[in-house]
Amino acid sequence: MFIGTIIYALINSVILTLIAMGFNLTFGISGVANFAYGAFYILSAYATWIMMHSFHLPYSVSVMGSILFTMGLGALMYQLVLKRVRGQAICEVIATFGIGLSILELFRYFGFVGFEYNLPIFIDSSHMILGTYVDMQRILIVIIGIILVLLLWVFTHNTSLGLAFRGIAQDERTALTFGIDSDKIATLAVSMGAGFAAIAATIIIPLGSIFPSDGYDVLIKALAVCIIGGLGSTGGVIVASFIIGFAERFTDTYIGSHWTMIVSLAAILIVLIVKPSGLFGNQKELEERI
Amino acid sequence: MRIRNRFTACMIQIIILSFLFASSLWAADPIVIGVPTSTGFLEGKECLKSVQLAVQEINENGGVKIGNDHRLFKVESLDIRDAAPGVPVPEALLGIEKIILEKKPTALVVGPFRSEALMAGMDIIAKYKVPLLGTIAMSPASEAKIKQNPDKYKYIFRTCLNAKYLVKYLAGTMAFIKGQFGFNKVYIVNQDVAWARKTAEIITKVYFEKAGWEVVGHESFPTGTSDFSSALMKVKATGAHVILPIFDMPQSGTLVKQWNTMQVPSLMAGFISPLAGPGAWNTFDKKIGGAVNCNFEMGSAVSSDKVPLSKTFAAAYEKKWGTKLEAGHGPAPSYESVYILAQAIERANSLDADAIVAELEKTNRSGVMGRIQFDDGHQAIYDMDPDKAALAAVFQWSDTGKRTLVFPTSVAEGKIQLPKGLTAIKE
Repeated sequence: MFIGTIIYALINSVILTLIAMGFNLTFGISGVANFAYGAFYILSAYATWIMMHSFHLPYSVSVMGSILFTMGLGALMYQLVLKRVRGQAICEVIATFGIGLSILELFRYFGFVGFEYNLPIFIDSSHMILGTYVDMQRILIVIIGIILVLLLWVFTHNTSLGLAFRGIAQDERTALTFGIDSDKIATLAVSMGAGFAAIAATIIIPLGSIFPSDGYDVLIKALAVCIIGGLGSTGGVIVASFIIGFAERFTDTYIGSHWTMIVSLAAILIVLIVKPSGLFGNQKELEERI
Repeated sequence: MRIRNRFTACMIQIIILSFLFASSLWAADPIVIGVPTSTGFLEGKECLKSVQLAVQEINENGGVKIGNDHRLFKVESLDIRDAAPGVPVPEALLGIEKIILEKKPTALVVGPFRSEALMAGMDIIAKYKVPLLGTIAMSPASEAKIKQNPDKYKYIFRTCLNAKYLVKYLAGTMAFIKGQFGFNKVYIVNQDVAWARKTAEIITKVYFEKAGWEVVGHESFPTGTSDFSSALMKVKATGAHVILPIFDMPQSGTLVKQWNTMQVPSLMAGFISPLAGPGAWNTFDKKIGGAVNCNFEMGSAVSSDKVPLSKTFAAAYEKKWGTKLEAGHGPAPSYESVYILAQAIERANSLDADAIVAELEKTNRSGVMGRIQFDDGHQAIYDMDPDKAALAAVFQWSDTGKRTLVFPTSVAEGKIQLPKGLTAIKE
């Protein structure tokens, strides 16, 4: 059971990393806390479903279409709304939260509620790993998660656009003197964050179904991971995901499932008390972060 | 010429007669049925559609006869959102009061999801004297309140299963499993909400402890949990023969999928709301074969030849809405409630709330759930024989995606089949 718990804790950690990566990318580069993130996650899943079932497009085309659509919507949100309130943290939070709320509640209002709204699993099989059965979808989540983290690292360290991203993230004013357009980079950051949400939805949602209320859960999980890891730090996101992921599964197994939420919240509290800016965060004051 | 005149006269007569007949329907205002519930949830959505179906059928047959008038029904619905996480009870109560004051309904059908909202809403309903036929909230506490003060709370009825009857059905299923296979080790997993915790607690006390079962584990999962691997590993480690799940959250279907992919050698038998309807087979990637599920009412996403009206209802619903029923709790009693109300109004020959309540108490109707009669707590009586009482229905998913009724025996179509890797203790 111990080995099994480690295996499922590892999977849980990668799921949390995938969920939080887009939120963290957007905040780290543009400084925008995108509270519509959970809504983008759900929106992309519904978009895939609609393309598959209403327009009868192949699954792969639907997935690509929904990722591009969600990225486009993220860019549009920055250009139409966030650009005007950028730098005013509370306005950014209210604006993005309002947009997210509208998206999720509109799906509910228009009746997108029911168990028929789900996405197909990639490969239908399960395998025994060290004496524990694990389904292929979860194995793929781990593989895709690792690949995405590596791709993100390569992108931010080896491409001119990625270096521009890092430049803006490190010091926006200095980056401006080098001719980097901060609005363009911020637009791309919000867009890419939304794209990561869509990728996460594509590979995680097949484990269950699509429900508007899951958008709120995704946002809360992303926030929890980013707060513990330190907002804007990719390494922090990975470490925090593993702390929460392992804490949740080990609590489930050895203490009791009803304590899971409490242990996760306690982990957040302890980190905030010991290191208010998160494990790898640069900001010193709590209010500077959101 | 004469023929043409005769034809014209005949047509004029037909038009006048049609107008007179129709005007008798138009003359009176429609009878408003209010549906304040969580329409953003599957159960609420299908309950509302079931009410609309019943209203359409009744209206097409001339409406409700009161004196010499035939009055049509009209549905007014409002999403009170009480099922959504974080929505406070007062907000749901505002919704109930709003629909009563603005739409002036003769009666309410469906009502709140959460028993907390129903309990608090009983005073509003009593204040405005609007009969309610509840079809979702299940706490028996509302019956106790009615029995304590019947004059005040007599307007509240419940046509769906309550928590006591759910325990009776789950205990009956467990006894059936024990009798058939000799199993006696159970692992309980439930959602961490009041009704599910209480159901688990009551069934442990009133059945498992007395019937020689060993409860080898008990886990409560917070609403929204989507990974049940730890509990399933514990099930394996404890050697439980049966897993008893009690969940009404959308993510709970994942428990059954993981039970399948992790190849846990235990029988899954209990209540998981997403497993109720035929769509669950595809929703959960055809990985729910072997799971035994209790649908709260016959007719709600499951039907039987032994209760012919349940088949008629399912066919009519699919014809009107183009989709099959998926919710295992709510649709059948919602549909029935409209007919129960229509018959009570006709017997009362009045729209007076007290007169309607007096007739509702005398209800004795054979419908889609079996026979409906109310007890002194205004709860529809559920038992095992559709000729004598209303029925819940327990079925098992086969490995080919077919649902077979297995309990109660009065409607059973087959016996429970054991999943791979699990053998009976007794032959």
